[in-house]
Amino acid sequence: MGTTVTHAPATEGLSKDKGSEPRHGPVTPPRPAALKRRGRRESLAGFLFMSPWIAGFLLLTAGPMIASLYFAFTDYNLFDPPKWIGLDNFSEMFADERWRHSVRVTLWYVVVGTPLKLIAALGVALLLAQKRRGQAFYRAAFYAPSLIGASVSIAIVWKAIFSDDAIVDRTQKIFGVDVGGWSGDPDMIIYSLVALTVWQFGAPMVIFLAGLKQVPRELYEAAEVDGAGTWRRFWNITLPMISPVLFFNVLLETIHSFQIFSSAYIVGGGAGGNACGPADGSMVYTCYLYVQGFENSRMGLASAMAWLLLVAVALVTAVLFWSQKRWVHYEESA
Amino acid sequence: MQQDRNVERRTILKAAGASLAVAGLGATATACGGGSGTGDGTVTIRYAWWGAEDRAERIKKTIALFEKKYPKIKVKTDFQPYLDFWKKFNTQASGGNPPDVFQNAIGFLRKYDAKNVLLDLGAQVEAGNLSMDGFRAGLEKFGEIDGKLLGVPVGSNSMALVIDKPVYTKAGVTPEQGWTWDDYDAAMKKIRDKTGRAGDTGPYNVMYLYDLYLRQNGKAFFTEGGLGFTEADLKTWWAKAEKAVEEGLYANQKKVAQIKPKSAVAAELAGGEFTWDNFTVRYTSEGKSEYGLAPIPTTDGKKTGQYLGSLMLSASKRTQHPKEVAQFIDFMVHEPEVAKIMGYDRGVPATQAQYDAFKPTDPVNKAIAEYEESLVEAGVLEPITPHPNGADICEAAFLRIGEEVGLGKRSVDDAVKQFFTESKTALGA
Repeated sequence: MGTTVTHAPATEGLSKDKGSEPRHGPVTPPRPAALKRRGRRESLAGFLFMSPWIAGFLLLTAGPMIASLYFAFTDYNLFDPPKWIGLDNFSEMFADERWRHSVRVTLWYVVVGTPLKLIAALGVALLLAQKRRGQAFYRAAFYAPSLIGASVSIAIVWKAIFSDDAIVDRTQKIFGVDVGGWSGDPDMIIYSLVALTVWQFGAPMVIFLAGLKQVPRELYEAAEVDGAGTWRRFWNITLPMISPVLFFNVLLETIHSFQIFSSAYIVGGGAGGNACGPADGSMVYTCYLYVQGFENSRMGLASAMAWLLLVAVALVTAVLFWSQKRWVHYEESA
Repeated sequence: MQQDRNVERRTILKAAGASLAVAGLGATATACGGGSGTGDGTVTIRYAWWGAEDRAERIKKTIALFEKKYPKIKVKTDFQPYLDFWKKFNTQASGGNPPDVFQNAIGFLRKYDAKNVLLDLGAQVEAGNLSMDGFRAGLEKFGEIDGKLLGVPVGSNSMALVIDKPVYTKAGVTPEQGWTWDDYDAAMKKIRDKTGRAGDTGPYNVMYLYDLYLRQNGKAFFTEGGLGFTEADLKTWWAKAEKAVEEGLYANQKKVAQIKPKSAVAAELAGGEFTWDNFTVRYTSEGKSEYGLAPIPTTDGKKTGQYLGSLMLSASKRTQHPKEVAQFIDFMVHEPEVAKIMGYDRGVPATQAQYDAFKPTDPVNKAIAEYEESLVEAGVLEPITPHPNGADICEAAFLRIGEEVGLGKRSVDDAVKQFFTESKTALGA
């Protein structure tokens, strides 16, 4: 909806511009009625072109979202009409031990996985920022996993890699570690998910690379003259200079981590008919939401969970924005 | 400017044309989706089931037979693994578009009856499109709930103790009909001590086994409307299990979880496990050993609490073609040729005609037939436990929470509390 509102005046402005060149044609006074008609027609065309998108947005995004907001306050099992129950879904959630467990698993995943991924991304970006032979190849090679990493097929491969007697299990046995496959282990499965997300560091890496390119060389040269070492240059020049990029990546990856679903669902699925890993070991928030909605047919409760997640992610985002005053340095130039 | 306007008009026309084309495509798609009846009287019915590729192959052949006999009925099929099947079915049924006929099981009858999804086939029986005669062991009553015929059994199974035969032999254990839980516990110790393997995968989170144990003691897992046992009952059951896991009598649950989807028996982690008797077929293809069926231990030396379970075919209330669906079910349960194709894939055939038509020649399927015959002879079979609306969710919770006890992730008290909380929600909904 927002787009359509901003679009309408833009078209109008365009037509006015064109209308205000009567010099070239015969001397005619401006005809406001005709102009208006024309403007309307152009915006009609605009709307027409956007109609597939608008229809998709209204039918597939906005409509279901509003519906789910309503369902969040109802008892709805898909078959019987929804029954208004006020805040009962929320109080049930807080009292539900399995729900609290899913919150813990998700927070753990976000707090451990996101920093590791960003450290990996920044580390590799620093290496790749230097000029060396085969640079383009390395960049492409490190970026590739993030293109395919979110896919279902990779999650299936991941499950295979980390299952019992597969490559990870056999490799760790060579080193005398016999803990079995990770994807069937309630304590280890979450690590395999973290490994999966860290492996997809390519996307933030590319953004870091772009940020590193922007850091003026002369700052390093000056620091070197002053005798600053590598670490010092990184800490006092690189990090502050790329802090806006870092902020962007932290924000994006944090939000992304909260929404983890497909990889957890696939790597954890299939074990004992439990969608959330052995003993709920990989039961992230969205997994439990899925179980409640689609396995237990409790769409009202699932909708309430979805909205709570949205609010929680919004709050985390707000806190991150608020915190940037303390650590993000925007260049005050021009 | 004139030209400008033309371009604009043309563009709009094009856009409109494109929209029309899209709308047209949509209309075609709708026509295809809804086209279950055509001019010449041919109707198409949709049939969905859960299972794997080998079952699909067999079912495809039986459908070819059916379509040959009823050339005016076309059958469109769809299948998924068990859990995915119910998710898809749930979504389709709630959207008012369930398959016309589908595979079903006792645990889901009340659930979908309460949701108004299942067709009462009684009227079709009266109309002569479906015969409920000729079923074995009272199976014709299995799909009847509150006087409504909601499912027609295609085969029967019973719970059994599936054992790794050489392991039991090596330990010197020979289970016999009427052996007791004390005998069973002693056998577990013998197997552990003599073979170094756990005696059993762990019976404590198998809902259908706990049901038998409760029935031996005058209770049952479910009543018509709720759970048929107390928190104290379950505490005793799980406390015994916790100890047995610690002592290595039951398999290490972590290992059991890790080797999934392979079964612990086939993976040589345990000497046996309680499951449905037709699972020996699966274990034989999975494992290297020889697998057999042993009787269920008893409390009093006689009563096993066993009953026949069964896969069924149900019809959806919204089907446009109840008559054709009834004819389809009738064909699938009575036609002897169908039994020859299906074998014991969905259990021992439910009707006498089909039972007689397929006589297994391989030792595994032969043993299944012998086991079910021995149950009939021993006279231990009783009426089935009712499964209230929500039973499927209780079973999943029992499996999961019991596993957590086995893993040491939960204390027994905590686990029992959690199970009762979840069950109350599921059964109350």
